[in-house]
Amino acid sequence: MPRLSSAGLLLRLSEEAPARLPAELTITDECALTARPADDFRVEPLVREGDLVQQGAPVLRSRREPDVMVTAPVPGRVAEIALGPGHRLSSIKFFHEPGAGRRQFDPTGAEDDSDRLRALLLASGLWRRLRSRPYGRVPPVAEDPSAIFVMAIDTRPLAPDPRTVLHEVQADFERGLRSLFLLTGGPVFLCQDEGEELVGKPRFSDRLRVVTDRHVHPHGLPGYQIHARHPARVGRPVWDIHAEDVAAFGTLLREGLVPETRMVAVTGTALTKPRLVRCQPGADLRALSYTHTVPGPHRILSGSPLDGEEARWLRPRDRQVSVMSPVPGNDKGHWFLSALRLASRPMPLVPNAALEQSMGQALPVMPFLRALAAGDTETAVRLGALSLLEEDLALADYVSNADPGLARLLRSLLDRVQAEEEPA
Amino acid sequence: MIRGLWDRETIALMLLAAMLPMGASWLIAGGLEAAGRLLFFLVVAGIWHVLWMLARAQPPSFAGALTALAIAMLAPEDLGLFALLLGTSFGVVMAELAFGGWGRNVLNPATIALAFLGFSYPAAPWPELPVQLGWAAWPAAAIGVVFGVTSLRLLAGAALGFAAAMLAGLDLTAVWTAALVALMLLVCDPVASAATGLGRWLNGLLYALLVALFAVFWDTAAPVQAAVSAALLTSLAAPLLDEFAIALWLVRRKRLG
Repeated sequence: MPRLSSAGLLLRLSEEAPARLPAELTITDECALTARPADDFRVEPLVREGDLVQQGAPVLRSRREPDVMVTAPVPGRVAEIALGPGHRLSSIKFFHEPGAGRRQFDPTGAEDDSDRLRALLLASGLWRRLRSRPYGRVPPVAEDPSAIFVMAIDTRPLAPDPRTVLHEVQADFERGLRSLFLLTGGPVFLCQDEGEELVGKPRFSDRLRVVTDRHVHPHGLPGYQIHARHPARVGRPVWDIHAEDVAAFGTLLREGLVPETRMVAVTGTALTKPRLVRCQPGADLRALSYTHTVPGPHRILSGSPLDGEEARWLRPRDRQVSVMSPVPGNDKGHWFLSALRLASRPMPLVPNAALEQSMGQALPVMPFLRALAAGDTETAVRLGALSLLEEDLALADYVSNADPGLARLLRSLLDRVQAEEEPA
Repeated sequence: MIRGLWDRETIALMLLAAMLPMGASWLIAGGLEAAGRLLFFLVVAGIWHVLWMLARAQPPSFAGALTALAIAMLAPEDLGLFALLLGTSFGVVMAELAFGGWGRNVLNPATIALAFLGFSYPAAPWPELPVQLGWAAWPAAAIGVVFGVTSLRLLAGAALGFAAAMLAGLDLTAVWTAALVALMLLVCDPVASAATGLGRWLNGLLYALLVALFAVFWDTAAPVQAAVSAALLTSLAAPLLDEFAIALWLVRRKRLG
């Protein structure tokens, strides 16, 4: 049932929304799959630099869980494999060579059998599109989620509308959605905006719950949907996945091929006009924005202006590129004032309406943020911290200008909980 | 990458802007004497803020001006310079700076300073507030709510409490001005009041009911004294109200598992 009022904030960053534009197909010449040191993703390369690989062919294998594969995003040549200490993946770079072909998987039986489906997703690399909460990691191979949230709504500022993609791949989306019931014994929540229904409910298992919410940030983030309907906690993992990736599951099940592209919105204050592109995972952000930026300095973020990070390559879960002009007057000011600011970190948070709206009034905001800032894990967990991830606090960070960032505080809290609950 | 502006000092400035109508009408009514009084409290609060900045690297805050304004308007009259100095210092230092500055304090420094003066010098007469000050509290509330620094829930709770008291036939005409001014200056402080939705309703309600209670059963109290006492008790109860609201919220979430 749609709620009568949804609290949230509307950000006016630019006049033109990319949602209504036609998508251009842009496969960049270079691309790279990246991981942050914090992901602690230890890998074993299955190819060597200079090898020619098919699109969808496995190139890396996880050392912790050998079944988890990373597959090539484009047909092409492996340009560089950069591993950090302890074989942690830093990046693996590819040159696009269309002649290399695409890897064909065998989807027989995967639509009826849970084990075969898991094996197919793992082998094709699509497993890594799933995200498990608490902690927000790629789910362990044997994990049995208590619910799966399919996000067909994205309220981040300037985000692409998932409906644009789903219109083209409706049949695959339904096929993929059906396959999710094999992965969980619990409900599957399909979160969508107030437009027309994305799927006809009677054709699906009665475990499908269609959730409608208003298009107001932050309600289109999976964290708030999970928090409101099926909170995650230790021992009760909840997965979330973007609707486009569900459609990719469907495509894989239908024809045995991993889709080559994803829909990405290229927007921001330093662009002449916003673009909607279909590009490969890990696309080169400079190539996506190069001819469209206004002259002068700019920064390219992978992700939305709120939670994006400066990056060269599209991050694994991002569907937005933000090209931002530098904000004037953002210097540190007089040395004495900046020293004072540093000495008093973390600055106290004072309750105000904007800060409370920034978490959608989904939880008692000030007690939660105070617990977070004070390192009171117990209270923060009681109020729902385990359903949330960094991206869910990006808006609160933006509003309150908090230092250190609330998102970072939440990440360290989650790491602390994980270390306590799951001794390595 | 992009940063918003609702940090501590923005909110303090917005609160100051909201208090301008009351401050202006109080200055017009009180003339030069009021201006001197305000200046004195501003200087005392400012000196303490600067001292704590130098000694503890604690950034000074515009909230000190809010405290000074509230004490200047509501402090008992005919007190010596030493008494005022002591009372203000107690409020500013013990209720605010010792906790780490505005935003980390538990109680409103002005409330504490006023209560300290009231308890220490019971013979000093409390000020008679000009009636236009009560009217100036309305635009103050409007500005605060529009900029999101004053809680509409808290005000609604207070309105509910006052309405209930009037329906019960209590005569609040004598305390009206003091109650509204103390509500805006002391009770609506976003830091020291309740921080949950339900907690704020209860916070406002509790303040209104306490004011009504004092107006009826505390014959010897001046209107400002009653309002300040009600503000003090309310802000002491605020964490309890929040705990209650959170407990209720957790009970409602039990069904989600």
